[in-house]
Amino acid sequence: MKNLKKYLLLSLSVLALVSCNDDDVPVANNVTLEFNNTFGDETIVLGDANSADATVNISSEGQKHHFSELKYIITNIRLVNDEGVEFPYNTQNLDTGATIIDQSKPETLQYVLSDIPTADYTQIKFGLGVKEDLNTLDEELFPVFYNADLEIHWYWATGYRFTQVEGYYGDDNAPLSIHTGSVLGGDADDESTWNTEDIHARNAYRDITLNLTTSAMVGENAPTIKIKADFDYLLSGTNKITLETPSEGYTAGTLPSKHSSPSTMVEFVDNMAGNGDTDITGMFSIENVEN
Amino acid sequence: MKKLIPNIFIVLLVSSCSNEAIYESFIFDNPEIELSIPIDFPVLNNSFYTNKPTKYGIELGEKLFFDKKLSRDNSISCASCHIPENAFADHNSKGIGIDGRVGLRNPPPIQNMAFMQVYNWEGSKSKLENQPLVPIITPEEMDASILDIIEKIEQDDDYIELFKKTFGDDDITGDRIYKSIAQYEYTLISANSKYDRVQNENDTFTESEAQGYQTFQEKCISCHSTALFTDQSYRNIGFPINPDNEETGRTRVSLNSDDLMRFRVPSLRNIEYTAPYGSFGQFATLEEVLDYLDNGVLEADNLDPILKDNNNRIPLSEEEKSNLIAFMKTLSDTEFIGLQ
Repeated sequence: MKNLKKYLLLSLSVLALVSCNDDDVPVANNVTLEFNNTFGDETIVLGDANSADATVNISSEGQKHHFSELKYIITNIRLVNDEGVEFPYNTQNLDTGATIIDQSKPETLQYVLSDIPTADYTQIKFGLGVKEDLNTLDEELFPVFYNADLEIHWYWATGYRFTQVEGYYGDDNAPLSIHTGSVLGGDADDESTWNTEDIHARNAYRDITLNLTTSAMVGENAPTIKIKADFDYLLSGTNKITLETPSEGYTAGTLPSKHSSPSTMVEFVDNMAGNGDTDITGMFSIENVEN
Repeated sequence: MKKLIPNIFIVLLVSSCSNEAIYESFIFDNPEIELSIPIDFPVLNNSFYTNKPTKYGIELGEKLFFDKKLSRDNSISCASCHIPENAFADHNSKGIGIDGRVGLRNPPPIQNMAFMQVYNWEGSKSKLENQPLVPIITPEEMDASILDIIEKIEQDDDYIELFKKTFGDDDITGDRIYKSIAQYEYTLISANSKYDRVQNENDTFTESEAQGYQTFQEKCISCHSTALFTDQSYRNIGFPINPDNEETGRTRVSLNSDDLMRFRVPSLRNIEYTAPYGSFGQFATLEEVLDYLDNGVLEADNLDPILKDNNNRIPLSEEEKSNLIAFMKTLSDTEFIGLQ
C-alpha cells in the first residue's frame, strides 16, 4: 500500500511536469526546407527530347534548352539565429544531414530538419555538393545516403556527383549532360594529399548563404523555408555559356562540359552556386518563409 | 538486491574466463614480408610505406583478389579481368563486368604497382589502397556494394581467421579489404626477364633483339623510359579515339582541356602477354601498333611534340619493326606469369 502511494505520487508529478511543459514554448521544433527548381519564375517540368510539356528556357546567348533530369546534393546545413549564433545541422553526417533533390521525385523537394532549437533564425547556410572530407562514397559510414540514389555516384572518382543535369538544347534537341563534382584526388581526409593546383576548379563544393526574407521563428511554430533554385543561371549566370557541338572526334559525356571543352566545370559550378567569394548565392534565393 | 550481487559476480567470472580463453589461443603475429626490390627500379609510392605487405595481409589480399564474392552476382573476381598468365591484364579489348556489361577501357596489367606514382589510364588514383573500391562499385564492372561483400565474406570461417591473423581481430571492414588487396598487389613484381638478365650480364641478346634495343633507344625511350619502360607521364599520341563519349583521357581528372585524350604511358614489361593494346584495346597485335605509328597518327592540338615534330609519325622500316618486337619480347617474365 505504501508502494502504491509512492507510485501514484510519482505519476502525478510526472503528469504535472508534462502539463507544465505544454504551457511553455517547446525547446525545439522542425524546420522544413522546400526547394522550388525553376527557370526564372516558372517551376521546371522535366521532359524527353520531344516533350511538349517540358519547361523550355532560352539562355542569354539565345540557346533553347530543357531538362529531362535534374538532381543536386544539399549538405552542411546551418541556421543562423538573430544573435548571429550558427546552429549546424548534422553537418558531418550525410545520413542525417544531407539530401538529394530530384526534380522527378516530389517527395525529395522537401527536407525536414528536426529538433532545431527554439530561436528566431535570420539566415540559412548550406553547401551545394559534398565537402571533400565526406566525399568518399563510403557506404559503411553513411549507408542511408549512399543508397539513396546510386545514379548520383561518380564511381571512377569514388565521390558524389554534386549536380546532375540531363536534357536537350538547340533547335535539333541535341543532348546535354552536365555533371559536376570534385576531383581533388588523394585522400579525402588528408588535405596534404589533394591536388590543389587550380583548386577552385577542382573543388566543386560551394557554400551558399541566404538571408531569410522574414525570420523563421522556431518554437511554437515549425516554419517552412522556401528556397528557389533558378536554373536559368546554369547557362546565363555570371558566366554566359554557349553549348557547342562536339568537335571532330571528341565528345565529352559525363564531364561537366560545353561538350567540346571539358575544362569548364567551374563555369557551371560558379553559375549555379557562386564562386564562394563575391557571389555566395548563385542561383539560390529565398522565396518566402512560412511560420 | 542481495540476490543480485552474486549473480553479477558469476557473469563477470564467465566473461573473464571466456576472454582469457580467446587470448590464450590467439597470439597475434603477422610479420612484414621483405620484398626483393630491384635496384634499378623507380622509387616506391609513399603509400607502400603505410601499408607494407605482411605475411597474412598478402594471403588475405590474394584470396580476395580471386574471390567472385566481390561482384554483386558472384560471377567475376578481380582476376577475371586481371588474368595472372596475361601479366594480370585482360584479353578483351574493354573490360567485361557482370551480365556481360562492357566497360570503358582495356584493363591494364597489374605488375610493379609499388613503383607507380599513379594508377589507371588517366591517373585517377595515386594510392593503390584507394583503387579496389572503383571496380567493386562500378556498374560495368562488379556492380557490388561493400556492405554486401562484407556480409558475404563474414559467412566464411577462413576469412574470419585470416582477418584475425592479419589485423589482430576479426573485424571485417572495407578499409581492411582494400589494404589487403593492395598488399597482395605490391608483391606482384616483375623483374626477371631476359632483358634484366642481359643487364645483369647473365644472358645475351640475339642479333635481332640487340638491333631492336638499338631502335628502341633511338625512337621509343623518351616515353618508355626507366626500368619500368614508362616515364609515367600523360601523352596524346594520336591513337584511334574511344567512341564511348565518357572518354576524355587525363582531362576527366585534371579538368584541363590540354589533357584531352592524354593517357599514362604504359609499361612495356610483359607486353607479349598483354594484348590487345591501347586504352580501349584498339590494336590486336604489336605489329598493328607499330604499323600505325609508322603510317601516321591522328592529328590533335595537344599531340605529343615527338610526333608533331615528325609529321605525326614514328617512321619504322619493316626490319626495325620485327627487331623492335623481338626486343620487346625480351621484357617477358615467364616466372612472373607462371609459365615456369
